[in-house]
Amino acid sequence: MSMTADAAIIGGGVIGASIAYRLAKAGKKVVLCERYDFAAGATGSCDQCVFLQSKNPGIHLKLALDSSAIFQDLSKELDYTIDYFKHGGMITIENEMEMAVMSDFAEKQKKIGLDVEIISRAEAAKRQRGLAGHLLGCTYSPQDGHVNPFKLTLGFVKAAQKHGALILIDAEVFGFKLESGRIKGIKTSKGDVEAGVTVLAAGAWSPVLAKTLDLALPIKPRRGQIVITEPVAPYVTGNLLSGQYIVAKYHPEILADSKSLAVRLGVGLSLTQTSKGDILIGATREFAGYDLRNTREAIREILKNASRLVPGLEDLHVIRVMAGLRPYTPDGLPLVGFVKDREGLFIAAGHEGDGIALSAITGVIARGLICDGKAYTDVSALDPNRFDA
Amino acid sequence: MKKTQILIVGAGPAGLCAAIEAARAGAKAFIIDENSKPGGQLFKQIHKFFGSYEHRAGVRGYAIGTDLLRETEELGVEVILNAPVYGLFRHDGGMMVSYMKDGREKAILAEKIILATGAAENALAFPGGTLPGVMGAGCAQTMINVNRVLPGGKIIMIGSGNVGLIVAYQLLQAGAEVSALIEAAPFIGGYGVHASKIRRAGTPIFVSHTIERALGKTRVDAVEIVRLDESFQPVPGARRVIEADTVCLAVGLSPLTELAWMAGCDFTWIPQLGGHIPIHNENMETTIPGLYAAGDITGSEEASTAMEEGRLAGIAAAEALGLTAERAKDIKLEVWARMNALRTGPFGQKRFEAKAQLLESAKGAAR
Repeated sequence: MSMTADAAIIGGGVIGASIAYRLAKAGKKVVLCERYDFAAGATGSCDQCVFLQSKNPGIHLKLALDSSAIFQDLSKELDYTIDYFKHGGMITIENEMEMAVMSDFAEKQKKIGLDVEIISRAEAAKRQRGLAGHLLGCTYSPQDGHVNPFKLTLGFVKAAQKHGALILIDAEVFGFKLESGRIKGIKTSKGDVEAGVTVLAAGAWSPVLAKTLDLALPIKPRRGQIVITEPVAPYVTGNLLSGQYIVAKYHPEILADSKSLAVRLGVGLSLTQTSKGDILIGATREFAGYDLRNTREAIREILKNASRLVPGLEDLHVIRVMAGLRPYTPDGLPLVGFVKDREGLFIAAGHEGDGIALSAITGVIARGLICDGKAYTDVSALDPNRFDA
Repeated sequence: MKKTQILIVGAGPAGLCAAIEAARAGAKAFIIDENSKPGGQLFKQIHKFFGSYEHRAGVRGYAIGTDLLRETEELGVEVILNAPVYGLFRHDGGMMVSYMKDGREKAILAEKIILATGAAENALAFPGGTLPGVMGAGCAQTMINVNRVLPGGKIIMIGSGNVGLIVAYQLLQAGAEVSALIEAAPFIGGYGVHASKIRRAGTPIFVSHTIERALGKTRVDAVEIVRLDESFQPVPGARRVIEADTVCLAVGLSPLTELAWMAGCDFTWIPQLGGHIPIHNENMETTIPGLYAAGDITGSEEASTAMEEGRLAGIAAAEALGLTAERAKDIKLEVWARMNALRTGPFGQKRFEAKAQLLESAKGAAR
């Protein structure tokens, strides 16, 4: 079978689905090809958080805020219940070093427009049961939320289909169609798709496909392991992150000399509870190539860390573990835009742990750049060519 | 961290036999089991086994279990009980099994691992299916034969395979009334000899029938059944309500394959064996070198074949460690001969063919 489209999208994760919806709604003829099934990669193995406090003050946080604004009414817009809840979130502060980092972080975030404050341990304990006694306090923002990543992806997919998009699963993309140096679509296990624009939204697997074009993307797979408990009555209020995560992500130099296994595995708490009641306990940030297996040491370190910060979790039963490959970029920002010297190729990948939170706005940016030649705001910081020597 | 040559997960008939053969060959063997007693399902099998003399025909399951336990003890096999295994990981080029014991998380390194994890009973979805009183037939069998507790007074058995027939009869022996046995197919699934015993005891067997719903507010009070036509569709008006306080489900078993999935084994789909089965070769070795599977995890059969598969895996694992190279070949041939003999007849033939298909897929599997 041979197909033609305005846009061929590679990847049925939340990013590809979001872009498919925006382009289809704008009247573009869209074909999306997914190798396995919707949300089969990092989207389906994440912690469901739409966390704003974890975003770096600057364009990163601004985009997350704009994305969050879209989430408020997205169920209605998509005519599909995505289970978005804005229950607020906290980041634990364990020591003076974290207090200094988080105070500075929160001050800068406030200037961008985030409603965030530092609260005492006693106040934090009112919001979340079972917190450790040694905490100095927490940051708190009422704007943090979470969303069911499967429903979110399906919501985008179904809405895209309503606008005429052709969505193919079990459709592996083998490579690109080239015509006098220009990328003119993709070759897939379900046939060729001829397209004016090809959108690469394959997350951590994007560099593998880019390589067939002799294009070296600065994206690396970073494994995140998550432990899942039995479903229990509501326990986690909103979402909880640990300050270690922020320190490790934005101030790695502070931890550079640490010999701790937890630091080596990039362990930082992320805690959230699904609508069904399972508690998701994260997570690691490890470079392990494309190895998707869970490891015993990581499961142990995640649980040790979680029960150290929230001893109340100790009595729960673990029923499952999972791992996802988050697409890492060196500066922590995704690559969204047209690729220089590869005419016809648009990239939207490299969101690492922010894929869910930034999914809604990524679709809007992609539509702007593809349909109008410009986004609603200055997104030069996301330019995929910014790492070119 | 503890280390062993051969680690066996599951102390049922397959696991115990694997340990016995491995230990006889001189290997250091460990068995881990999540239950408080070893023996798997053997100790609730109070019926006499089928087959020929070398298959222990005429001997009751619990007697076989007692013999196997004595043998493992004599051979010095260490059995760790009350220890659920939760993970199988790669570790420094070898394999590691992690488990919980007395509230602590532990791990053992092993050169060879044999998965003898067995199978779990299938459930059936119908309105009222979560009411107290609905249970697996195997669960009811454990209650009467191991714990000596009657699950109820008036019982409906769903499924006429050997599990359904044998457990229905044992429930009658234990003093319960078995009000009816329901089978969706137009014929009885298990051995005629077992079905006859139930009929002689007065229990009606409804073939071409299925359960429509269990009735009751806080527990099962009655069951509504319906006749099915040739295409398994309910016949309008052919419903009846039977008073009952217990519904036992004997609707097949599914292999407990979680650890094999976690290890990354290649699988194949064989419905006759219970669904997804880890591909293995004639040594019971999966597509992960050094990882073996034996017993119901490779397809639900009976304890007699599980024991033979266990022996095969145990001897093959020992052989791979360089032990008993001479005797191994003979023992394996003997085991295969006995196993093929068990897989004959109208019931055995289907399993023989399914197993042949499984072995065939091993040849195609990428190593």
